[in-house]
Amino acid sequence: MNDFSELEADLRKLRPVLPSAGLQHRIESALGAATSLPTAGVLPKPRARSNGWWSLGLGLTGVAAVLVLALTFFDQPPPPQAIASATPKIAAAQGFQPVGLSQVVYSGRDEGLVFPPNDSGPLRRRLRYETRETMRWRNAQTGASVRVTYPVEQVVLTPVSFQ
Amino acid sequence: MESNVSHEDWKTCFAQLAPALLLFARRWTNSRADAEDVVQEAFVRFWRRQHSLENRGLLYAAVRSAALDRLRSEQRRNRREATAALEQVDYCEPIFTPEDEGQGLLAAAVERLPNEQREVVFLKIWNELTFAEIAVALEISPNTAASRYRYALGSLKKILQPHE
Repeated sequence: MNDFSELEADLRKLRPVLPSAGLQHRIESALGAATSLPTAGVLPKPRARSNGWWSLGLGLTGVAAVLVLALTFFDQPPPPQAIASATPKIAAAQGFQPVGLSQVVYSGRDEGLVFPPNDSGPLRRRLRYETRETMRWRNAQTGASVRVTYPVEQVVLTPVSFQ
Repeated sequence: MESNVSHEDWKTCFAQLAPALLLFARRWTNSRADAEDVVQEAFVRFWRRQHSLENRGLLYAAVRSAALDRLRSEQRRNRREATAALEQVDYCEPIFTPEDEGQGLLAAAVERLPNEQREVVFLKIWNELTFAEIAVALEISPNTAASRYRYALGSLKKILQPHE
């Protein structure tokens, strides 16, 4: 490291650009507001965390929609006794039995630490997984099968601690 | 968590840390205004929760987290390009105030460093963090932090050699 001591000294002489005067005032306002309303959500909402739940909700809605569409399309043209079904339970009642469920994780990201907006809980690490799930049903009598594939985005928050 | 500092103390702390925090935030932003937004969000968040600046690694982790949140929200429509964009940060505004030509060359050399190396140099030189603290801030191992730092200084030396 001694080879770099001169370079390090030169680097330390280099001055970073100073922040604007307004920044301190903005922080003062934010801290002042936070002090007067400690639990009123003064801080910006944790956007990414909200997005995670939002994405999860959208994903589940998407799954339901895909399931309905897939079962509906499968039933065209409808077999004599078949009725379009929106749920696995009804599909089973029509003679379709679940024969498989596969889950392929094609993306996993560590999105770093999540800081709660107030002292409401521990620090957490946010992990985002994108998977593709495939469900299969088969009708033993007719030999027909249904396969539904849908994307799932899962956000996992795990508590972390520092020493 | 009890506050063990007065409301005025944060001003002293912030005055000391602000330039370096801003420099660190510039790693993910290409303007001072954006970097200031990131620093504000992170500092307020950190101060409310931590009430102490002893754990500096965590403060910088808060800046990094706020910066990445901002970057993600901006790039939500094309999330897969987020990683690529991280490598494409170009400084539209200077991040240093060089006092002479030599410092100007040095500043330009620092800006040419790969992001991973530059952020370690930012934290080590201008924030005076230990490698252990850098490891917390960047969520890497202390050895990786030290290694990146050495590579960065080596790269700087190479870049500057023709001008010396």
